[in-house]
Amino acid sequence: MNWTLFQPELYYFMVVMVFLTVSMLNSVSVKTNYYTALISAVIGVAVCTMSLRVNGTLFYNTYRVDLYSQLFKLMLAVGMFLVISVCNKLKSVDDSRHPEFYLLVATATLAMMMLTSAVHLLTIYICLELSSYSLYILVFLRKDQETGVNTALKYFLTGASASAVMLFGFALVYGKFPSIYLADLVESIPRFIDQPSVSIGMLLMLCGFFFKLGVFPFHFWLPDTYEGSANETTTFIATVSKVAAIAIMIRMVALIGGNSVYLIKVLIGISVITMTLGNLCAIAQQDLKRLLAYSSIAHAGYVLLGILCMSPNGYTGAVFYAVTILLLKFTCFMVVISISKKGESPSVDQLAGLHRRSPLLALALMLALFGLAGIPPTIGFSGKLLIFTAAMNNGYFLLVFIAMVNVVISLYYYLLVLKAAYLKEPVDDIQPLHVPFPQKVLTTALIITIVTIGIFPTYLIDLADAAVKYLM
Amino acid sequence: MDITNAQFPFLSTILLVCIAGLLGILCTPGHRHSMIRWISTLCAGITMVLSAYLFFAYDKVTGGYQFAENIPWVPSMGIQYFNAVDGFSLPMLLLTGIVFFTGVLAMWDLEYRVKEFFGLIVLLVLGVYGMFMSLDLFFIFIWYDVSLFPMYLLIAVWGSTRKEYGAMKLTLYLLAGSALILPALVYIYTASGLNTFNVLALSQSGLFSTDQQKFLFILIYIGFGILAGIWPFHTWSPVGHVAAPTGVSMIHAGVLMKIGAFGVLRVGMFICPEGWQYWAHLMAVLATIGIVYGVFAGLQQTDLKYVIGYSSVSHMGIVGLGLATMTVEGLNGAVFQMFAHGIMTALFFSAVGYIYDHTHTKSIPELGGLTKIMPRATFYFIFAALTGIGVPCLASFWAELTVFISAFRTYPLYGTLAVCALAVSALYMLRVVQRTCYGPKNDKFAHIPDISLTRSIPRMILVSVIVLFGLFPSIMFDIIRTASTTFMNRL
Repeated sequence: MNWTLFQPELYYFMVVMVFLTVSMLNSVSVKTNYYTALISAVIGVAVCTMSLRVNGTLFYNTYRVDLYSQLFKLMLAVGMFLVISVCNKLKSVDDSRHPEFYLLVATATLAMMMLTSAVHLLTIYICLELSSYSLYILVFLRKDQETGVNTALKYFLTGASASAVMLFGFALVYGKFPSIYLADLVESIPRFIDQPSVSIGMLLMLCGFFFKLGVFPFHFWLPDTYEGSANETTTFIATVSKVAAIAIMIRMVALIGGNSVYLIKVLIGISVITMTLGNLCAIAQQDLKRLLAYSSIAHAGYVLLGILCMSPNGYTGAVFYAVTILLLKFTCFMVVISISKKGESPSVDQLAGLHRRSPLLALALMLALFGLAGIPPTIGFSGKLLIFTAAMNNGYFLLVFIAMVNVVISLYYYLLVLKAAYLKEPVDDIQPLHVPFPQKVLTTALIITIVTIGIFPTYLIDLADAAVKYLM
Repeated sequence: MDITNAQFPFLSTILLVCIAGLLGILCTPGHRHSMIRWISTLCAGITMVLSAYLFFAYDKVTGGYQFAENIPWVPSMGIQYFNAVDGFSLPMLLLTGIVFFTGVLAMWDLEYRVKEFFGLIVLLVLGVYGMFMSLDLFFIFIWYDVSLFPMYLLIAVWGSTRKEYGAMKLTLYLLAGSALILPALVYIYTASGLNTFNVLALSQSGLFSTDQQKFLFILIYIGFGILAGIWPFHTWSPVGHVAAPTGVSMIHAGVLMKIGAFGVLRVGMFICPEGWQYWAHLMAVLATIGIVYGVFAGLQQTDLKYVIGYSSVSHMGIVGLGLATMTVEGLNGAVFQMFAHGIMTALFFSAVGYIYDHTHTKSIPELGGLTKIMPRATFYFIFAALTGIGVPCLASFWAELTVFISAFRTYPLYGTLAVCALAVSALYMLRVVQRTCYGPKNDKFAHIPDISLTRSIPRMILVSVIVLFGLFPSIMFDIIRTASTTFMNRL
């Protein structure tokens, strides 16, 4: 067995072990914890970059390592680094719980990394549950116990039901073809895809991932969880967790979707409802995190639009879109964390006067919002263009049109947020926001990345293209 | 399509100067107002000189696309960075240069959030320049949106009179337009099967069936037409113009609305000529309604800026009518009208801007006898009004004349209606001039100083451009004709 294939996972396992030890010691200072986490995240990015081009299978073919999985692992590592970089204050988590926070972030990341490589139904299930359980506990970790328990319980109950539905789907498929290797299913499913048990089984299987991604009708947990968890936890769920969900969705659909007409129709319906519902609900939100949650739901709809094309172009678009969501959503949440005084969930009005309190953050927020609305020259536009082109190639003109109408609707509430940041004058405090130097560097880097990839998307498109080739 | 790249990339230089200006403004500390103003003026001046140079250096004998620059951008998707100018885009570049320069000068006295204002203005103009020179659908869409999104902040932060409402309405309307354009562009890209966004490659005949062209053209026409203020999608335009600050109104009414008409021409008519011919009648009807409606709505207004806003709707209707005639003269007139209207509106808004900044009112009944208080400022106002009416020997006259002559040939009824409406417009323009500039003067405003000579510079530039092209319209027509004849011959 070739252990170099398993490098990133081994590394993150080690990080988990370190934080497990630290959490038991209970004598390490907050600062040390933070820097340990930050350094290990940076090394993690390096490890994932080094193993980008490795290729092979592990564990009796239940685990596939290829450019596709490695690219997503890199994204996850970068995402974890970004999230940890804004955890320097971690205001809403009790100081003594910080090691556990990092521990759970690390286990969740590890589980998601394994999820991107899993090609065996049981492996998928185990990885998915490991990441979900880490998140349930992460959500629970709040100073404000009542909110923590409340939110975590809601999240856990919906999550557990989605898992149950997914397992039922596994059972149906397994009942039809006695194999749980995706490789075997690829060969048999397309021939039987029009049989009810198979197509329903397929759909139920996807439900688990729908839940992760926040697709209708499994989106109910999103706004509550976003609002109720610590800001840093929300950031992690909104970025890293979404990327992992997209990764496994693409892998599943690409391998066993088999161009089933029935499945495509259902996905089209779900995609349209998801994006429309997300955007319409977002308009009414006063709480910034709830608003971003509904915008996440809408974005899940766009991603689904790329996936349901079931063509390499569509998958490339979806992979590209994962990067988009990671960067743009993170930028928004970074601003949320910065303006929240005691770690509470800020309202949209709390952005008032941001352009004077911190012009840099205001600029970053503006670009991120325009990016989410898909306005060029940001990375968000390139992502949307790729997805729309793929959908148009399949002849879904109406679908593209509906998506564009949705983009216009979404622009309305993004502009409301922007208005709060740029036009409203704050009621009481107008002292400048303290943005530490490293965060300034990070923000500038994000701004540059968002615009640069928007203008020069070639490299990333080619990378995504190459990664998608391994799916087939 | 053997277009060789130019010796020197003039077009990219224009864009780079804007980008350099933008970066320069971003890096200047916010309190150094005069430095920011000088950077923007310098940037505007250089681009104006460059576009004027291109306008006069263009080889009219050879015609076609010149000063081309073609670099593959995203090879896997067939996106090219492809810039070139022809007889349609040169007048637009010149217009952008002039209005940008005068617009920056007109906002010289701004003191509130100077850095952000000029940064956004330069960004907006960067998009406009790019849109006029690009021949790649991908970039056309990018530049189109780049020029739109600064508008929200420009109006909402620095505007007046219901600014937040105006800004939101404008942004949503224009983005709704792009909701039609983007699917159409993506459809063109995928259905052609050429894997290219190159407008010239996509406009070769036989690529799209007649039905496809009909379908695509109407999407593109409405999508870009919203920005061009075609009736009944014009309602954002008076509201937005009224809410915007002077320099932004100038650039917006002067240049940005032309992007819409230019988009219809460059994307819609180039790629879907059969669709254009099919829908031309509808275009003519909507344009005529726009002309008549704009005039009568303008008649009712008591707010100076609303009067100009509705006159813009009416004048952009003339552009639409010209495009709908399907004749070389009609196209010539339409493009000339885009240019002339841009300069005229800029002058109009800058004159009204001065009046508003000092009297703090735009209401016609409150003003009066301004000639006695600020003779120079009212001169510019009256001059713009006369240009708008279409007084001979001023630029608009030739444009409107050409459009109407060809409209009479193709659509006698609409031509007649439009001319009658324009006669009424003379009535209301003169009424506005009479109420504000003559009559008893309002003593409240007696202390207001007249416009100083240095502040007059931008207005004088605009006046001289109007007179120059009014006296020598052939300079403009010769250039436009190179493109319009080629275009019509191809059909």
